[in-house]
Amino acid sequence: MTEQTQKPLLPRGVNAAHFNQAIAQFRALLGDENVLVKDDQLVPYTKIMMAVDTAEHMPSAAVTATSVEQVQGVVKICNEHKIPVWTISTGRNFGYGSAAPGQRGQVILDLKKMNKILHVDPELCTALVEPGVTYQQLYDYIQEHNLPLMLSFSAPSAIAGPLGNTMDRGVGYTPYGEHFLMQCGMEVVLANGDVYRTGMGGVKGDNAWQVFKWGYGPTLDGMFTQANYGICTKMGFWLMPKPPVFKPFEIKFENESDIAEIVEFIRPLRIAQVIPNSVVIAGVLWEAATCNTRRADYTSEPGATSEAILKQIQKDKNLGAWNVYAALYGTQEQVDVNWKIVNQALKALGKGRLVTQEEAGTTQPFLYRSQLMSGVPNLQEFGLYNWRGGGGSMWFAPVSQARGSECNKQQALAKRILNKHGLDYVGEFIVGWRDMHHVIDVLYDRSNPEETRRANACFAELLDAFEQQGYAVYRVNTAFQERVAQSYGPVKRKVEHAIKRALDPNNILAPGKSGIDLANPF
Amino acid sequence: MNIERRSLLKGMALGGLASVAVTGPGLSLANSVLGPSTGKRLPTLALVSAAVADSAFVQGINASPAARQVSVQRWEASLASILALQQRLGSGQPQRIIGLLDDASAALVLDQARSAGARVHWLGQHHSDARTSRHQLLGTTAADGCALQLGLQLNACGAGFSLSEQRLLAQPAFQAGARARDPRSAEQWAATLGYSLAELASGRLGQAPLASPRAVPLSGHFVSFSIEA
Repeated sequence: MTEQTQKPLLPRGVNAAHFNQAIAQFRALLGDENVLVKDDQLVPYTKIMMAVDTAEHMPSAAVTATSVEQVQGVVKICNEHKIPVWTISTGRNFGYGSAAPGQRGQVILDLKKMNKILHVDPELCTALVEPGVTYQQLYDYIQEHNLPLMLSFSAPSAIAGPLGNTMDRGVGYTPYGEHFLMQCGMEVVLANGDVYRTGMGGVKGDNAWQVFKWGYGPTLDGMFTQANYGICTKMGFWLMPKPPVFKPFEIKFENESDIAEIVEFIRPLRIAQVIPNSVVIAGVLWEAATCNTRRADYTSEPGATSEAILKQIQKDKNLGAWNVYAALYGTQEQVDVNWKIVNQALKALGKGRLVTQEEAGTTQPFLYRSQLMSGVPNLQEFGLYNWRGGGGSMWFAPVSQARGSECNKQQALAKRILNKHGLDYVGEFIVGWRDMHHVIDVLYDRSNPEETRRANACFAELLDAFEQQGYAVYRVNTAFQERVAQSYGPVKRKVEHAIKRALDPNNILAPGKSGIDLANPF
Repeated sequence: MNIERRSLLKGMALGGLASVAVTGPGLSLANSVLGPSTGKRLPTLALVSAAVADSAFVQGINASPAARQVSVQRWEASLASILALQQRLGSGQPQRIIGLLDDASAALVLDQARSAGARVHWLGQHHSDARTSRHQLLGTTAADGCALQLGLQLNACGAGFSLSEQRLLAQPAFQAGARARDPRSAEQWAATLGYSLAELASGRLGQAPLASPRAVPLSGHFVSFSIEA
């Protein structure tokens, strides 16, 4: 028996005739098996974690391309029929929108089949990859070829990919943790079908594409990140030489109020590169969740978890209220000197319990943190999704100066708002060279409509309240892209839309990404 | 959606159908919603998390006519498990993977299914405690009737539940629910789900076994799925 009220899902502003013509052309270009329109083929693209209706982010179709020429063909068809296309590489982006399109009905261009490691140079320590390459693939390649190189990746490590993570300006936990900083050379298919290579990539016969970022004239790489001006089909980046000695360590701090002193202690060590990697300062619930603790183990009461329970978890799991993870890298002599400096600074601070790798052994969460800091993939951090359960997760990630007072203020503000909405503060700070990424996982039960509404309201209030204090997030899920774009002011938006009009007048590439959409009045 | 189906669900939502006989018109109705039987029985792997391993979900699988094609595997959340699954999905062997897992594991499994280009016929988000269960379902044409079957059987058994099904390319979504009338049915949802997912590819719905009451019924958050590679 068929459903009588079935209506085709169409992209915004596209009628059924144009859509069907486009699908037929996609089939001719890519082959039937690469054009997905049936519901059971599209469901895998719809599992979102945001606090909005799944229907708002359903695709009308998904197509997979296997070459740059096919990507050019796809944009040509999209231009002809004004079809908006949302591109994904590995499509992990958990908590930021997953693989689902930013707007209902957009056609997904899935580049997972473009998954070749094009080049790894063990002497210059560079790599060039296609969009579908995963960190696990690259890790295996490095292991198989016994190359003295180390990867940096975000927590979903194994299954995520360097191109997608860097294009969204993700961060990792090694000295190369600021991934966009380590990017060198991009190939981008523009909306008109041109293939543009940044840096040295346009020079015939050049071999410096992966070693010299700037090339000549304007350097445009950054313009394509977190943006919708082109489809990145190749990316070069730098790899860290594997150091002879790697010494991870943890410092546990007993009280939540210690955060300001922790940051003041770390900043000089970080800026001076005594500690060269992106240090993490993880709160108690982040730590507990990643070592398989569930809220239901402690309480079945709805709402925010009480302070008494937080203290009990801290005690039961032998955690700090804050848990600092860092590492030293280099020769034995270098590590010894830096270890002495770290110990002296800690002694001067007068608080904090130091834990070495020898002491921690294979206990979690030390083990997975140590692996992330040394470029070994793992999936331990997915435990966060079981803390409360129900499949809801939205990253709230404001940035700030690396100052103790800033962290204190941000943490208190975030926790107050989360608790007000009956949710928990599950957060960590990632210490960059001079900045802090304050990363909070807004976890909620998505199977509970009432809690989902609360989570949405909570996220909106977090954005508002932080904006009032002069803060903004560096990245956000697709349901809140437009709202966050507003935080950065109208002039930036006018410039972004002027570029969009120039490069993509038909508005076919991911309209809505970072709030850039020619349907907006800019 | 046909009128008869909608009326039935509306009735359930209002608590007006206290005892729909699943073996009678209810089951016929659910079967009538399904397409013709394909008779396709693929080797099936059922992945279950530790808490589910002894639950009515596995009872339901074992009671289904497809049980011989199903091997049940307790899922260990690790990178090695994910890489093994990736290899399995990419093997080119026609197969089904069904399961009831925790949120973290399910997020990983479903993403691997997408990467492998597998079809996902069913995706459910579940919460249960000793009193009631809650189900958010994303169904497809291939799983037509399964959500209805789940609602009918839970209602017939006196289980407390709320259920909503959303469809990707069809409107409208539907909702159903009932107050608990029999506390022994707290785990019935898992039995019916296990049975239905095991039987999904056959194109016919049968009667899931009544779940044996346990001192501590399955509780917490779970994700169910049916993947075909």
